[in-house]
Amino acid sequence: MGPIARARLPRRLRARVAAECGFTLVELIVAMVILTIVVASLSAVLVSATHSAVDANNRFQAQEQARTGLTQLVRELHCAGQVPSATNPNALPITDTAGNALTPGTAYNAVTVQLSSACATAGGVTPYVTWCTSASALKTGDYALFRVTSTTSRPTCSSTGKVKWADYLQTSTPFCLPSTTVSCGSPPVFKPSGSLPMLHVVMPVNLKGPSSTVDSYNVVDDIVLRNGAHS
Amino acid sequence: MIKRPRRLRLRGEDGFTLVELLIAMIVLTIGILALVAAYTSAYAALNRATRVSSARMVADAQMERFRAIQYSAIALGTTSGSCGSSCSTDSTYTSDSAYSSTAQVTSTTCASTTSTCLPTQTKTGPDNKSYRLDTYVAYTCVSGTLSVSPSLTCSTGPQPVKRVTVVVRSSSLTAPVRESSTFTTFPGS
Repeated sequence: MGPIARARLPRRLRARVAAECGFTLVELIVAMVILTIVVASLSAVLVSATHSAVDANNRFQAQEQARTGLTQLVRELHCAGQVPSATNPNALPITDTAGNALTPGTAYNAVTVQLSSACATAGGVTPYVTWCTSASALKTGDYALFRVTSTTSRPTCSSTGKVKWADYLQTSTPFCLPSTTVSCGSPPVFKPSGSLPMLHVVMPVNLKGPSSTVDSYNVVDDIVLRNGAHS
Repeated sequence: MIKRPRRLRLRGEDGFTLVELLIAMIVLTIGILALVAAYTSAYAALNRATRVSSARMVADAQMERFRAIQYSAIALGTTSGSCGSSCSTDSTYTSDSAYSSTAQVTSTTCASTTSTCLPTQTKTGPDNKSYRLDTYVAYTCVSGTLSVSPSLTCSTGPQPVKRVTVVVRSSSLTAPVRESSTFTTFPGS
C-alpha cells in the first residue's frame, strides 16, 4: 500500500495496518522447513508405495505368464496323439526333440509333440510343437519358456520363429516323465499304477533370483497324456 | 463504496496464522494419505488375485490326477481303510453342498500318499501358501433321480456316473475355489 492511500485512512485503522506486519523472514523460513520435513517424509512413503506397487505388478505379470504358458502346454499335451506303429504300439505322444522316447525320471529342457489338425492350437495343419527353455534375455542366469512349431521336422529352441511364453524361470529343465518305479521332482512324484502316462512340469518363477523366498512362485503340475495307454 | 472493500482487504492482510498453516498441512497430509491408500488397495487386490489363481491351480492339479486314473479307481478312502486318520472328515467337509452321505463313492484301499482318495488334505500352492483341499466323489445321474438301494440306478437315462468335486479352502480366500467334473466308464478305462 502506497503512502498516499495509507494517509487517507482513519487514524485507528492506520495504526492497525502499521501493526499488521505479517511474518518475519525467520518465521517464514521456520514454517517452510517444517513443511519441507512433512512433505519429504510423506513423499518418501509415496515413493516406496510406488516402488512396491511396480514390484508387485511385475511379479504378478511373471506369474501370470507362467500360468498362461502352463495352460497352453496342458491343452497341447491333452490333445497330442501319435499313431502307434507296428514297432512301437505303445508309443507316447511326447518325445524329445530328436523324436526319441523320454527316459523316465530324467529332466528335459525340451519336449516335442505332434498335434493333429483337429487340435485347437494346431492352426489347421499337423505341426510338430516343441516346448523348450533357453537363457532369459531379461535376467542373467534365468530361463525363458518358448514354444516353436514346424510342419516338416521336430524343431528345437535354436529354430527360428520361437515364441516366448514365460520368463524368469529358475530351472532349465522343467519337464520329466515319472514311471511307477522312477520318480520326478521333490517331493517325489510317481505315476500311479494302472494310470495314464503323465508329464511332470516344474516351473519356479522368481524375479529376484532363487535366494528370494518372498518372490518365489512355484508352478508345478502333472499333465496327463490322455491319448496314451493305461499301464 | 470504495472504502468498504478496501477496509476488508486490509483487515484480511494478516498473513497466515499457525492454525491456518496447520490446517493446510493436515489437508495436504490427507490428500497424500489417500494416494498411498490407493496403492495399498491395489496391492491387496493383486495379492487376492494371486491367492485365487494359486487355489485354482491346486484344484486343477487335483482334477488332473483323476483324469489319469481308471474309472474303477475313482473313490474316496474311508476311515476303516488303510489311510487311517488321514481319511477322517470334519464339519467343514460334511457341510459342503457336494457332500452326500449316501451317494458317496468309497473305497477300502487308500494309500495316504494317493491324493485322489483322500477326502481332506493340505497342499502347498505355487505361492508357497498352504491350501486345504477337499475332494468329494459321489454317484450322480445325467438325468432322472439316483437311487442307491437296493441297487445303484437312475430313474431314467443312462447308468449313474461319478461326479468329482474339488474345493480349495483358505483363510486368505473370500470364497472357496471349486470345480466339478463327471467321470464315466468307457471301454478300456
